[in-house]
Amino acid sequence: MLISLKWLNEHVDIADITPDAIAQKLTMAGLEVEGIEEKHPAFSGVIVARVVDIEVHSDANRLLLCQIFTGTETVPVVCGADNIAAGSVVPLANVGATLPGREKIGASSIRGVVSHGMLCSEEELGIGSDNSGIMLLPENLPLGRELAEVLNLGDTTLNVSITPNRADCYSIIGIAREVAALFDRPLKEVSCELKQVESHIAEFASVKIDAPHLCPRYSAMMIAGVKIGQSPLWMRQRLEAVGIRAISNVVDVTNYVMMEMGQPLHAFDYELLAGGKIIVRSSQDGEKFVSLDGKERILRKEILMICDAEKPVAIAGIMGGDNSEICPETKTVLLESAYFNPVSIRKSARYLGMGTDASLRFEKGIDPNGVLTALKRAAYLIAQTAGGVIYNGCIDEYPQRVEVAQGIQLRENKMASLIGMVIPQEEVMRIFTSLGMECSRIKEGFLVNPPSYRVDITREADLIEEVVRIYGYDRVATTLPTFAAAVALPSGREKVEEVVSDVFSGYGYSQILTFSFINPKAVDLLNLPLADERRNFVVLRNPLVEDHGVMRTTLVYSALQTLRNNVYSGNTDLKLFEIGRVFFSKGIAELPREENRLCAVVCGMAFGQNCHFGKSPAGYYDVKGAVEGLFSALSLRNVSWRGEVTEPFLHPYRSAGIFVDEQKVGFIGELHPEVLARFDLNVVPTVLECSLDLLTELVQDTKKTIKALPKFPSSYRDVSFLVEEAVTFFAIEGYIAAANEQLLEKTTVFDVFRGKGVAAGKKSMAVRFVYRSSEKTLTEEEIKEAHERVLKALVQNSGAELRG
Amino acid sequence: MMAVSNLSSDVIPDSVMKANIAEIERVSLREVADVTDMAGLQGLRLKYLGRKGVVTALLREVSQQPPESRAQWGKSCNELKNRIETALEERSSVILASGASASLLKQAIDVTLPGRTLPRGGIHPIVKVSNEICTIFTSMGFSIADGPEVETDSYNFSSLNIPKDHSSRDMQDTFYVTDDVVLRTHTSPVQIRVMEGTNPPLRIISPGRVYRPDWDITHSPMFHQIEGFVVDIGVTFGDLKGVLLLFLQKIFGEDTILRFRPSFFPFTEPSAEVDIQCGICHGSGCRSCSHSGWLEILGCGMIDPAVFANVGYDYDKFSGFAFGVGVERVVMLKYGVSDIRHFFENDVRFLEQF
Ligand SMILES: [Zn+2]
Repeated sequence: MLISLKWLNEHVDIADITPDAIAQKLTMAGLEVEGIEEKHPAFSGVIVARVVDIEVHSDANRLLLCQIFTGTETVPVVCGADNIAAGSVVPLANVGATLPGREKIGASSIRGVVSHGMLCSEEELGIGSDNSGIMLLPENLPLGRELAEVLNLGDTTLNVSITPNRADCYSIIGIAREVAALFDRPLKEVSCELKQVESHIAEFASVKIDAPHLCPRYSAMMIAGVKIGQSPLWMRQRLEAVGIRAISNVVDVTNYVMMEMGQPLHAFDYELLAGGKIIVRSSQDGEKFVSLDGKERILRKEILMICDAEKPVAIAGIMGGDNSEICPETKTVLLESAYFNPVSIRKSARYLGMGTDASLRFEKGIDPNGVLTALKRAAYLIAQTAGGVIYNGCIDEYPQRVEVAQGIQLRENKMASLIGMVIPQEEVMRIFTSLGMECSRIKEGFLVNPPSYRVDITREADLIEEVVRIYGYDRVATTLPTFAAAVALPSGREKVEEVVSDVFSGYGYSQILTFSFINPKAVDLLNLPLADERRNFVVLRNPLVEDHGVMRTTLVYSALQTLRNNVYSGNTDLKLFEIGRVFFSKGIAELPREENRLCAVVCGMAFGQNCHFGKSPAGYYDVKGAVEGLFSALSLRNVSWRGEVTEPFLHPYRSAGIFVDEQKVGFIGELHPEVLARFDLNVVPTVLECSLDLLTELVQDTKKTIKALPKFPSSYRDVSFLVEEAVTFFAIEGYIAAANEQLLEKTTVFDVFRGKGVAAGKKSMAVRFVYRSSEKTLTEEEIKEAHERVLKALVQNSGAELRG
Repeated sequence: MMAVSNLSSDVIPDSVMKANIAEIERVSLREVADVTDMAGLQGLRLKYLGRKGVVTALLREVSQQPPESRAQWGKSCNELKNRIETALEERSSVILASGASASLLKQAIDVTLPGRTLPRGGIHPIVKVSNEICTIFTSMGFSIADGPEVETDSYNFSSLNIPKDHSSRDMQDTFYVTDDVVLRTHTSPVQIRVMEGTNPPLRIISPGRVYRPDWDITHSPMFHQIEGFVVDIGVTFGDLKGVLLLFLQKIFGEDTILRFRPSFFPFTEPSAEVDIQCGICHGSGCRSCSHSGWLEILGCGMIDPAVFANVGYDYDKFSGFAFGVGVERVVMLKYGVSDIRHFFENDVRFLEQF
């Protein structure tokens, strides 16, 4: 909210305090000042001058040649406006003056006559919208003086960010009260002397409240004989400073008082109110209403409406109607000041999509006891600026008392134990008093009555906050709690995530973080069948963009997008991983199932562009290697890779399901060529997705025990053999295991070869067999016998053909 | 070998001794002069001066001689030893100066080629800093807790004293799944979930993803928060200040200056916004701190009695504090990142810099 310091100064004397000092104090009291702006008039070199003589310019009828007295000399000025006469006091832009949006004023010759400057309209000076003629100044202004100075233009505004609890601060007076408390100064009284005529408002108007729960209080006054026109400059300047556009005197006054006191007001043209009646009632479903911005609104039940004897004339607290608004012909004004139910106003404003300055204040809660004060202040200002007379009395229907919290206890002990220090009694009393709260001592502490505008203060905790806030957070001693020394251990999943991050970053993978929402079309792109669980989306009602329509059920899609963006940016050799959640809908009655997963994608060269490595494209075995590293770090054994269990978006013969203890924990594989094309990729990524929640469960039973190093040496035998292409290494391991050879410690494959010297449909494999006994050093003979047993099993079971 | 091996352990005549010394000197100095590499030189050193070397053996012989000749021949032997030593030293520097042997030259490598390294991977900066923060708190005895990211309206709002149709809801724009289910807008619902199921004392830290529909250079529709809270008997606002001071000084450096400024959060009272003094201008105001001298870093406060009431805690017995840190904000300040969107674009050229 913008606060004009000039306006503020009318309510509390701040003339001797710098804007910075005010901003600093407000900020440290919870009213954060986000900006300070000095506003200067947009013109310079404009002085007060008087018209001495006017004659029609000889050459052109529409131009006048004026003789202008500047206080020291008389100069000729050519002018096109006709609202001036000899004696008028006007703004003169001297030669050399600057006006907003124009070049510097120079001495010009207009049709043979030299003009020494220019007479200005409000619009030309940039201080108003009036361009109908030259701005006429009060005749008592001193001639020759700078206009900006004599009109006291220029102001400084503070942009104050107001937290939602401080409804009372949405006004100049609200901020003035805080400033008064913070600088220990009195508030100034604003004048509001009403001169009322004998005619009583009750003879002309009546108010009936049909929905007192939505409208606990409605009051009204009448002003007759007004003349609608422009507001005085000072009022327009004030409104402009706080960001409100001036419209006409009566409307401006309602806005002015709202900004000043925080009470929204509405002015009706009394003659347009049928029967002179105000009826406050709830709307009907489907009811239509044209608001004063000319838009037709379709209402629903429970929207509070202000009506006359025949029709609705305003949406209560939000916006008036165009059927009763103030117009240039308005003579009699009925002024409304009311208290509306905050929740109801909020709901209605949301429903109608109409947040206004008025609704904002009503929904936060205005001062129920300030309704009449603001009404009177506005009536006074209307009479002052638009003329007219104020009818005697006011209507004040107040069927349902608005509760104001009273008699709140503040226990000194509770305050001390919550803050961690004792604030002296006198200081506490002083703080409450400065905030306008009545405060008395009781045995346990204090009894406090907050003022009616502090709708946020209802409990002991609220009082404690007020005391500390004004006392100063920086004055509260900093302490450290005495915690028990115990160090908490991370939970299982955190631990697993830590290992995943270590292992994958160690293998050269960069961790990525992508949005949890994806485009629902992702599942089509990934070929997922209709019954696939991953189509059970949690759908967002209000996504920012279509691409964020649903919560993701797989991490693969986002990872592939990230990979693609990187490839397009020229990052060709990629190893990426993400740890994130997937979400599966369980219907609207339940929260979705959330699962933590690991995803990895690779493409390009496995070792990047390094001169020491050959060109080795990253693929299945790179990702598998990292997963094996992870499983080893997590001590997960009994792992299998099953080519027959795959995913519809993966290459059917270059992918596998990953199983730990016979439980599927994820999948790994090259992207299917069809899917590749849909992603518009010219590289072939390999992807991995794996459930971290499942891994965490599986890990928890496994405790790592370190084995002693072997005491006796091992020996190895290398063998190469030919087998059918379809025989997997997993199968070979199985055949060898069938030999159940106790001395065989380890079997590793160190080469797989196809091509020259190997028949089509076959492959050559080279395997190293390592033999060792835990009891002794094996003899050549013992090794030979064991090796023969193993080879026999291999050849018999797999049909392998041994090569040299 | 040759000369020495002929010596008996008996008394050796002076003439024989003299000839032996001369012969050893002649042969050894020739061999030293002929050797071309350091390995050969080392071999000669062992051959003559080693523990089983020629000169060493000779010295042993001398020690067996009668006292009258022992001194004289001992001196001569030591002189011989010194001359060989000197010759070895000189030859060694000649070999070194001549720039290694031809055989080593053949083994030369280009020492300026880049090293054989795998492309470096790394932890995402958000995760890295989040882990760093969690570690600071776990070392203070906090435990890590977790909660769902798709959350009920009740946990995300109502239980945290943010009633439906209340203007405090405007503080956080929200992604909705249904009327009663939202994407959590903060990590604070974890407070309720933990307090509902556990009695004080509590020291909890909870990192995670949160969601709000804003998207520009300082707002992302998904971002990360870390919630922390403590509930016990006698937990004070001063403790809150102390814990956060310790934390922020560990993250931003020991000389970090803090400011606690009153603010409003529906679930804490009193509430505070914590600013750190701008490290660029040291408080005098500059562009990166919008000329205020301070940078907003987190929100915190004493847990509101309404929250305690919602989880059945006794406000008269217990007190607690809570805080929420935006991880992106911390990373941005710590590393001078100006656009939050970089974190989720995941360009590896950005990620590699952390
Ligand atoms: Zn700065």
